[in-house]
Amino acid sequence: MLPEYFDYHIRSRVVAGPGVASALGNELRRFERKRAFIVTDKVVGQLGFLDRVKKSLADAELDLVGVFDEVPPNSEFGVVMRGAAACRAARGDILIAIGGGSVIDTAKGMNVVLSLGGDYIDYQGFGLIERQLGPLVAIPTTAGTGSEVTAYAVIRDDATKSKQTIVSNHLAADLAVLDPELTLSLPPSLTASTGLDALTHAVEAYLSTNWRPISDGIALHACGIIVRWLPVAVDDGANLEARYEMLVAACEAGMAFSSAMVGCVHALAHTLGGLYEVPHGLANAVLLAPGMEYNLPVAEARLADLARAFGLKPTGDQARDARAAIDFVRGLLPRVKLPTRLRDLKVPEGELALVAETACLDAAIYTNPREAVAEELLEVLKKVY
Amino acid sequence: MATFKDAAEVYQCVGGFFKTVTDHPEMGEKIGASGLIIQFVYSEPDSIITVDAKNPPPKGSFFRIIEGPCDLKPDVKMTMTADIAHRFWFGKVNLVQALAKGDMKAQGPIPSILKLLPAIKPAYTLYPEYLKKIGKADKVI
Repeated sequence: MLPEYFDYHIRSRVVAGPGVASALGNELRRFERKRAFIVTDKVVGQLGFLDRVKKSLADAELDLVGVFDEVPPNSEFGVVMRGAAACRAARGDILIAIGGGSVIDTAKGMNVVLSLGGDYIDYQGFGLIERQLGPLVAIPTTAGTGSEVTAYAVIRDDATKSKQTIVSNHLAADLAVLDPELTLSLPPSLTASTGLDALTHAVEAYLSTNWRPISDGIALHACGIIVRWLPVAVDDGANLEARYEMLVAACEAGMAFSSAMVGCVHALAHTLGGLYEVPHGLANAVLLAPGMEYNLPVAEARLADLARAFGLKPTGDQARDARAAIDFVRGLLPRVKLPTRLRDLKVPEGELALVAETACLDAAIYTNPREAVAEELLEVLKKVY
Repeated sequence: MATFKDAAEVYQCVGGFFKTVTDHPEMGEKIGASGLIIQFVYSEPDSIITVDAKNPPPKGSFFRIIEGPCDLKPDVKMTMTADIAHRFWFGKVNLVQALAKGDMKAQGPIPSILKLLPAIKPAYTLYPEYLKKIGKADKVI
């Protein structure tokens, strides 16, 4: 049965292909801007990716007026404000984000502050941005967050040790550039954890109470691609086809969860990131199968659908298929050489109750298919510790 | 046609209901413990109700209610029509969908808003009872 109401919105134009980052002249010319400002991190700068983008800027007759490369792995409010100040000082009129989710989310936050004024924290909330922001181009260098196309910016608040979210359809990049050549140098561990992040987006979007038919189709497709190509990309990082498939699937997963939202796995991962700076992809990886299992009593049919999306042969027994989907995800972690226990992520065992309680206050928990209770999440955490 | 004819009726129905739960042993205590100032800004008709759980409440209450504009700086501001607010207190509004549709806007830390949702569930049965009690049974949906 279709939901009583649904909306689905994607504002980003997506271009994809090997080498596309250095051939963006025509794409960038459409914005009719003159002064490009790049947002990135130190690692991306060292890898020489900026040179590829500089070629595109030259083709589009855009001046590069500044580079802000101070974005840390878990960006925070102050970084957003410093980046915005740097861009304002350089009089940049188009933002180009090159990096992982932290870089792209920082650029989104900067775009809000630059376009609307004030402080980043003023826009914390849902639906507060009511007009078009300045142009933003996002070039992901990991195949994970899908942030290039999502309506979210998640930034850490150091004062409260929590991740805070801005939600607006205006946040997504105007142009998302998927160039698999930029992901070739990702080490196997990062390839695996970011890939599991993408898989978690797709799985939780499909299980969400906020599912919609369009996100369902995209999420299931992304699941199939990720489970097929992630092990290949981990084993053979130079495999361009695997990198390409993963980058597109991560973008699809972003398109799915941007409207459908996520659930308890993300609520717990946000909490672990906020309290202990556990990398988001790793936290999602370790918690995905336990989170699916937690939702099994209320989401058996959808979990069985996921089994089919993973390429598992239907048995004719829905309960068995649902269980097979969970076991498949659990088995994927050692296959891509990721840790399987929370203790491996250096989460203090004595603070699991705090993690469970805090996760119940995370926005992601609201669309989890099973109404989450702290005591029950604590049992999930203990089991996977 | 709007549910409420003027701001006075919003304050009588919604504001009055809020006041009845300031000493509710379950809801009141949880809202009071939030330590937040939550402001509901309604349109059609224009009206404002502020829940102040930050400053000391009146004796016997867990928080206080202020009707109309006030100088308090809210931690969370929820903006909607009075009709949506009315439907919300019957448990007939899906918050996420209302936010996605633009029927509601939420300013402030989203976790703080969500934190209170489980706490206010008893309101969904208490609000209709309150409306009947004050002679507004025609507003029950």
